[in-house]
Amino acid sequence: MPDIPIQRARLDNGLRVTLSPDDSAPIVAVNLWYDVGSKHEKPGRTGFAHLFEHMMFQGSKHVEKGEHFAHIQAVGGTLNASTWLDRTNYFETVPSHELELCLWLESDRLASLLPAMTQEKLDNQREVVKNERRWSVDNQPYGTWDERIQASLFPEGHTYHHSTIGSMEDLDAASLDDVREFFATYYAPNNAVLSVAGDFEPDAALAMIDRHFGSIPANPALPPPPDMRIDPHIGRELREEVPDRVPLPRVYLAFRMPVFGTDAFEDLTVASDLLGTGRASRLYRTLIRERQLAQDVSVFPFPIVGGASMFAVWATARPGVGPDQLEAALLDEIDRLATAGPGDAELTRVRNLHAAAVESSLERISERADRLSMYACLFDQPERINTERSRYWAVDGDRVRTAMNDTLREDNRLVLTYVPAEAPDSRQAA
Amino acid sequence: MPATMNPMRPAPGAPRPYHFPDFVRRELPNGLTVWVVEVPGAAVVNVHLLVDAGAAAEDEAHGGVAALTAQLLVTGTARLDASAFAEATEMLGIEVSSESSWDSARAAFQSLPQHMTPGLALLAEMVLQPRFDPGEFERLKAERLADILQARADPGRLADEMFLRHLYDAGTPYRRLSAGTPESVESIGLEDVRAHHEVHWRPSNAHLIVAGPADPEEVFAAATEHLGAWQGSGPGHRTFEPRASGGRRIVLVDRPGSVQSELRVGQLGIDRRSPRYFPAMVLGAMLGGVFGSRLNLRLREELGYTYGARAGFDPRRATGPFSAAAAVQTEVTADALREMVGLLSTVRDAAPDDTELHEVRDYLVGVFPLRFETTGGVAVAIEPLAVYGLPDDWWQVYRARLEGVGADDVLAAARDLLRPDDYLMLVVGDADKVRAELEATGLAALEDAPGE
Repeated sequence: MPDIPIQRARLDNGLRVTLSPDDSAPIVAVNLWYDVGSKHEKPGRTGFAHLFEHMMFQGSKHVEKGEHFAHIQAVGGTLNASTWLDRTNYFETVPSHELELCLWLESDRLASLLPAMTQEKLDNQREVVKNERRWSVDNQPYGTWDERIQASLFPEGHTYHHSTIGSMEDLDAASLDDVREFFATYYAPNNAVLSVAGDFEPDAALAMIDRHFGSIPANPALPPPPDMRIDPHIGRELREEVPDRVPLPRVYLAFRMPVFGTDAFEDLTVASDLLGTGRASRLYRTLIRERQLAQDVSVFPFPIVGGASMFAVWATARPGVGPDQLEAALLDEIDRLATAGPGDAELTRVRNLHAAAVESSLERISERADRLSMYACLFDQPERINTERSRYWAVDGDRVRTAMNDTLREDNRLVLTYVPAEAPDSRQAA
Repeated sequence: MPATMNPMRPAPGAPRPYHFPDFVRRELPNGLTVWVVEVPGAAVVNVHLLVDAGAAAEDEAHGGVAALTAQLLVTGTARLDASAFAEATEMLGIEVSSESSWDSARAAFQSLPQHMTPGLALLAEMVLQPRFDPGEFERLKAERLADILQARADPGRLADEMFLRHLYDAGTPYRRLSAGTPESVESIGLEDVRAHHEVHWRPSNAHLIVAGPADPEEVFAAATEHLGAWQGSGPGHRTFEPRASGGRRIVLVDRPGSVQSELRVGQLGIDRRSPRYFPAMVLGAMLGGVFGSRLNLRLREELGYTYGARAGFDPRRATGPFSAAAAVQTEVTADALREMVGLLSTVRDAAPDDTELHEVRDYLVGVFPLRFETTGGVAVAIEPLAVYGLPDDWWQVYRARLEGVGADDVLAAARDLLRPDDYLMLVVGDADKVRAELEATGLAALEDAPGE
């Protein structure tokens, strides 16, 4: 495929802009990455960056509560936002003649969120977020896995130690003062990237962006990024067993790994696909098909940038298979690949799967806009969107072996096992 | 320096017209219907083979055999065993999927344009010369049985399954999941899979849909080369008339220790060819299909009871369900249920005002070009034309049909299609904590039911 076109600009207030026109359909995507995520939260306020994201939909000076969604949906647009460890993103896709509506809505809340904030709105969204946590974590089989992995791989004091969803206690503690302080600190044009992809004319779009965002003041005192430095290895094996309301045991292996954006991260991305992507992958072939120890497997590196990242593997046991047996089989397959390296054919397999997956993802202008924002926000290199394929294809067998041996080590892993709990029928009457 | 912001919503620009792309269709001599939607310049191509071999075609005594047959197809061909088949496809960057729903079975893949023809050759080989290896069959059957256990541990999936179980009567296949129950899957043998394939996977029952940067003549030629030797006709699906199992009631499924209750409220809805289709889509979106829907605004944005509430119709070849759904914290279970039932009832009292009607209808109309942004979206859009025999101009007139839905049509649909006397209210939660309050609502009599 030809490169995706990229035009960059920066407003006087520091807002970074990336534009990528494509008129194949009459739709346009707007995407904002704010360089703030749960890693920026202070002690006692876990979950706040995400709760704040909810508050961004509660209205601003010229937009009533609920109107942001209503305006976009009424023109046939789709929209949402998400918060993760490193960032918070907000995005809309609309018919292209409504581009300016998106810019107006995004700029109004960046310029004037606070006048619309009330205790009632905060209390309402606090309850919504607590229900989001109940739904996705507390009432969900295996639901605490990522929280537990983060808590083990990163020590207390490191801001990847806690999950993005946060604790109920900290959510309860969040106040309107926290909303004001967080907004004043992080929601500034010089802490954001705005990307537009799809059917638009770049000069006209840039003029519109300047018109809506240009007068919003920068924060001249952006705090320095949190100190995320950490040893590249844990230093010993950690083990945790969790009884849960699950019918089948599941084993998670998690390792500290080099951060997203490094060559080693790319090497381990290839390793993850060799191990777990497709029915011809090593773990599917041996654990699921041949030995029939696992019901499913999954392998993935986390694309995060603060000090260290996480490489995670999980497999659910087939009925009758114990977690110890499953763990041994997983480790055995990882060791075999780390020792001998991949064959040429299996490297070709994952490269071709990756090439097709990249093209498929980038069919969507919303995905283009999000990746442009991501690469601009994290690395100041939006053009990385056009080297995803070449960076992946540059990884050879030696690089895979070296990276696996450096990272997937016994003294650098957590073994987290979920086992079926005793039936709660025997609990005491209240 | 304070920012000076524009207080008014900016005026839209001039809309650029959008039309659903044209398709061409040809029936091959063996009865296979080939649809090609040429999307010049697209980066990937999507190939879907749809067969009238879904759960509605299967032998009810072996419920789930259609799903198991579809899954077993990807485990190899007479020439290639499971590993070799996986390698052959994935070397092309292709992951073949094969699955079955109530109304059809589907084998499909997405690829870079240059890999479409070799991919189609492998897809055809898989369908025409399946391996049906006994070891792979036993493996997939065991995985399916374990997956049912896993699904029932998830409160949302358990609620979905139990809602259908209690909604439809014992004679209606839809009362189970299309992939079967533990008992029905247990009864399936490899010979049942072979029989299902032999009888139902036939070209006169099948549609090949290709969407992407593909020349139609080249697709017809490739389809003829690789699928032309496929022969025969199948009986297709059974017809049945779905019936509800009982009237208005609360069914409580105990899940001790739950911190939320999963709520489902609903009744029988419409079939895919219902004359009420468009009003029903608007009604469903108004109740629970957009962020500003009545259920979501009340239960989430006003009360904070849930992360999200939704509602809608699930039209199938025969009458599918209508349901509203939300996961709410245990303490507010009874009140949340009362709110949901109330909103499903008051929608029958008065027509929506213009603002509400426009927001919902304009969303459904306006989102049209976004739905077909990808070639996968385009291929999926052809499916109902193939499966349900919708008219060829379906997508050409679709937006006009939606725009023709007025406030009175929505009210008439609500009065016809929502029948409070029929509401099944299904609750999955900690029964000891919620039973007394649910009974005290007076909404309906309560019965306890097992979660399996």
